[in-house]
Amino acid sequence: MKAFLIRRVYSSFITFIAVITIVFLLARVTGDPLAELENDPRVSPATVAAIKAAFGLDRPLHEQYLNYLVNLFRGDFGYSLHYKAPVMDVIMQKFPYTLALLIPSITLSNYLAYLVGLEIGWRRGSRLDSAFVGVSMFIRSTPYFWLAILFLYVFSVVLGVTPLFGAVTPGRRFDWSLDWFLDYLWHYALPFTVLTLRGFLSELIYVRNVVVDVLGEDFVMTARAKGLPDKYVKRRYVARNAMLPITTVLGMRYAFLIDGAIQTETVFSYPGTGRLVYEAIFNRDFWLLQGAVVILALSVIVVNFVIDLLYAYLDPRVRYR
Amino acid sequence: MSSRALPPEGALGKLRSFWTVFSSDRAAVVGLAIFLAILFIAIFADLIAPYSPYERVGRPYERPSLKHLLGTNDIGQDIFSELIYGARASLFIGFLAAITGTAIGTLVGIAAGYYGGIVDEVLMRIVDIWLSIPSLLFAIFLAAVILRIGGIPMFYSVIFAIALTSWPPVARLVRSATLSIKERPYIESAVALGASPSRIMMKHILPNVAPLVLVEVVVRTAIAMLTEATLSFLGLGDPALKSWGTILHFAMVKNALILGLWWWFLPPGIMIALTVLSVVLIGRGLEAYFNPRLRRQ
Repeated sequence: MKAFLIRRVYSSFITFIAVITIVFLLARVTGDPLAELENDPRVSPATVAAIKAAFGLDRPLHEQYLNYLVNLFRGDFGYSLHYKAPVMDVIMQKFPYTLALLIPSITLSNYLAYLVGLEIGWRRGSRLDSAFVGVSMFIRSTPYFWLAILFLYVFSVVLGVTPLFGAVTPGRRFDWSLDWFLDYLWHYALPFTVLTLRGFLSELIYVRNVVVDVLGEDFVMTARAKGLPDKYVKRRYVARNAMLPITTVLGMRYAFLIDGAIQTETVFSYPGTGRLVYEAIFNRDFWLLQGAVVILALSVIVVNFVIDLLYAYLDPRVRYR
Repeated sequence: MSSRALPPEGALGKLRSFWTVFSSDRAAVVGLAIFLAILFIAIFADLIAPYSPYERVGRPYERPSLKHLLGTNDIGQDIFSELIYGARASLFIGFLAAITGTAIGTLVGIAAGYYGGIVDEVLMRIVDIWLSIPSLLFAIFLAAVILRIGGIPMFYSVIFAIALTSWPPVARLVRSATLSIKERPYIESAVALGASPSRIMMKHILPNVAPLVLVEVVVRTAIAMLTEATLSFLGLGDPALKSWGTILHFAMVKNALILGLWWWFLPPGIMIALTVLSVVLIGRGLEAYFNPRLRRQ
């Protein structure tokens, strides 16, 4: 286990370095961060040179790269032009909203996908199965943002039962009261439902296919031939053996749902990190976008690491390979 | 002799056997029908659309009427015509991005599988790293980065962003196919005859992974169309191109949602879902014929 852990920490670290290097190269090769200032006739070349020197932009590329690494490890991700604040502060202020949205949503949708997937896989070929497979394939073909638009339109505009935007009523400050919490939940309902519903329905098919695969194995036939009750076979033989591949894929969702959050938060104007990515594009706030990419990629690496540990715990073969 | 040198009757027979398998999947046939209809709309957009989507043809924010089936947008352009032209942009960008991404993945996969050793190690490590970044986030960053270069039309930045984020799964798939093809006797004879590695890869391995790659292009087209819609929706697409994602972007920015103008934001989403679904169904049908044993998740 120790050797496995060391190997895994090492490869996570390499991945992280690679990701931040890719980001650095892409950002530096493609553009001059001071292009706008340089093209502004009101700013003298001397001022531009002074700013360049202050930020170390006049140094050779490898020195800039080292500087960038040192800054990253210090937690300095640059300065957001739109928010007029350090990128790290802006992102950290929004991160809790996204985490509070994503973690319960992924957990619930994974659980539902597992429950229903097991059931329809068990009853493969039934009418219930084909209905769910059909709905699942359709939902997979609709982008998150459009589902969000649909929900926002039906529930907030037509029915008027949910708010149009935000995480709390504008002007409302955080306190520990029940009132605040209810207001928060009221704003939380729609983004949460969209993320959970689409996640559940699109992962469902995967769980189902794994279950169908396991049902084809000889040991299932043996168990049934022995006369074990159906319920017992389902729980002890099928569900258990389907567990490993399901854990990998459903676990990965913790890392990748940020893609859905970017779209959903944008439509609901939900003040999380996902919406921040959209705002950074909209305001051409390149440093904010770069910081968000690095921080989100880092959290993905951490999540992957945790999932691998979990996997090694569930399947001893991984540890000793 | 390769199978391509067979007489036309053989090719016709092959097509017939393909159609027998493909048409036994009713969903795939429905998918093909929907797709062909949308393709028809895309090709003949100029003839079908009642107006030019780039011209002001009415007052802003008109409601649906016989004159403007889906009303007009915030600058008085006909939304129905935009929708028709949107088929062209969305299909074209999705297909081009998928082709580019699959081509990159195929080349990387063949090289990694054929050379093995350190080349394989390095390439697959890059694939792992690439796959550890959420693809939409990565595509957004790439599109934003490419836009910064300047002088590159926005249209290309979306295609490159999608292609550059979609090649790694293809590379993995093609690599494992290459590994098994490499062991076949005819490759050994080609090596013994002194064929160069590039000749072996292009003449002997590529044709054998072609069916796999073909299916992959279709699967990737569905994903690329979804990504294109999302990037355009977020404002990274070419506003002049009017893909369905771009229409939705302007619908959101111009408050169509809050104003309740459903004729503006519902149809493009339905078109995206229908097209992507039809491509997915075709992909499943193709897969049943080309790799019956290889089941995709």
